[in-house]
Amino acid sequence: MATACAVLLLLMSGPASAALTVTPNHDHIDIDFFYHGSTVSIEGVSDTGTDLVMKIAASAGHQSLRKKGKVAGLLWMNVGELKFDHVPSLYSLHSTKKISDILSEGERDKYLIGYGSLGKQTVIQPVANEADKTKWFDEFVKFKEASKLYAETEGDISLSVSSGEQHYHVLIPWPYQAAPGDYIVTVYAVKDKKVVGTAETKVLVEQVGLVKSLAVMAKNSAALYGIISILAALVAGFGVGLIFRKGGGSH
Amino acid sequence: MHFYLPVALTSINVLIPVGLGLAVGLLSGLFGVGGGFLMTPLLIMFGIPSTIAAATDSNQIVAASTSGTYAHWRVGNVDFKMGLYLLAGGFIGGLLGVQGIKVLKAMGNADFVIKMTYVIMLGTVGAYMFIESISSMRKSKTQQVKEERESATGRFLKSLPLQTHFEKSGVTHSVLVPIIFGGIVGILAAVMGVGGGFLMVPVMVYILRMPMHVVVGTSLFQILFNCIEVTFLQAYTNHTVDFILAVLLLIGSTVGAQIGAVFGRKLKGEQLKVILAVIVLAVTVKIIFELTLSPSLLLGQSGGH
Repeated sequence: MATACAVLLLLMSGPASAALTVTPNHDHIDIDFFYHGSTVSIEGVSDTGTDLVMKIAASAGHQSLRKKGKVAGLLWMNVGELKFDHVPSLYSLHSTKKISDILSEGERDKYLIGYGSLGKQTVIQPVANEADKTKWFDEFVKFKEASKLYAETEGDISLSVSSGEQHYHVLIPWPYQAAPGDYIVTVYAVKDKKVVGTAETKVLVEQVGLVKSLAVMAKNSAALYGIISILAALVAGFGVGLIFRKGGGSH
Repeated sequence: MHFYLPVALTSINVLIPVGLGLAVGLLSGLFGVGGGFLMTPLLIMFGIPSTIAAATDSNQIVAASTSGTYAHWRVGNVDFKMGLYLLAGGFIGGLLGVQGIKVLKAMGNADFVIKMTYVIMLGTVGAYMFIESISSMRKSKTQQVKEERESATGRFLKSLPLQTHFEKSGVTHSVLVPIIFGGIVGILAAVMGVGGGFLMVPVMVYILRMPMHVVVGTSLFQILFNCIEVTFLQAYTNHTVDFILAVLLLIGSTVGAQIGAVFGRKLKGEQLKVILAVIVLAVTVKIIFELTLSPSLLLGQSGGH
């Protein structure tokens, strides 16, 4: 359904990068009542002999999280908030090979590929020093990985050659935890530890139907939403009470 | 089968909330507690953000306590007069408690104070109920049904003005007693961010001297009104009530509350108290473990307290 619109060709420097395309099998994920995540299949054509790295990310924003620490040297509890700036809400990497083997550190930093590079651009407040920052960025990644929003998967892009062209393909499990929004898929063609071409497409995640109506109502008509929630609960409680009186009948 | 929760922004297997609702609803119908101290952490464990877990639970308790109150009212176990005085006190206490949180937050270590209050309250109430009900079970075996000697507190309560008779409970108190104690529970509940059923039940049993079966029904009656207020405020100011999650929970909890109410009639008051005490103590131990064991994640969602 979304073939024509998703093919984007962005030629980078050098004659080596003749072609790089990226096409998702669907660029529109609908969150309906029975949504439990999705699977996005992404494929394309790249120059023979290039390796590929794919990054899926939401635009960078900020997030506040509560941090846990020891109080009185004994008890774990919340000890304040940390603000994370320039972090995407979702970040997932895919590649044909181990990324550090096919891409130099400089290039990774330039294109924000890998947790290491992401950590360098992230601003965390308040932290005492660089070591403290590294510690909390690692915790941040752990937190995001626990909710399936961050992932580094290496070697999951498969390559095949047919009629002289190199085709690539990857199946990406799309987490249901990913909030509605736009997600940018960027493919990097890599050769000699350098990025030689990039192509981009978008995956749009959107709530539809009842899910959307309820979410909108909860935000925009909060009072009515609250009253309806309460009335529904009262009716349900009373209704079940009546059913049990008829059904039970012992007292 | 999975349902997507539009406010929590996550997907959940429907059997989880329905099952949790059934279990917690059962406790609600049995003991007259809302069960928030069990439900909220369980929902968080299943991936629901903490603020949404707490708010949605209060919506669900509206249904469970309606169901439970109705079941207990049919057999004459709701003291509406007492319930209304407790409510009045609880309402004032809630307002004071919210101010108290502001003061604590300004002082900086709100979380520490709140957690400690909660653990100490749970532990004390659980231990007291446990010891008291075990010893009175022993006494009733040896048929020492001696009239409770009037304690100093008892005499003091009797000396207060505005004495009135509560027919359903068969007790006489000053109207100030339920209002003041309702108020104290209200303050603590607001500070700890819980419904306070586990505090209200012991207050009714040990201070107001109401019979256990009337305590359960009356407690559910006043929890119902508290949770209506909380649900509305949460939906209106914080947008944290997830309607779909609430419906899934209440399918289980309304049925559970009925079963609990029926089952509760077969148990003696002392037996009910012992079981409730054990549950409260188990929750205390669980929280102590959480406080002392290293957490797997050092970061968590913001919001709530």
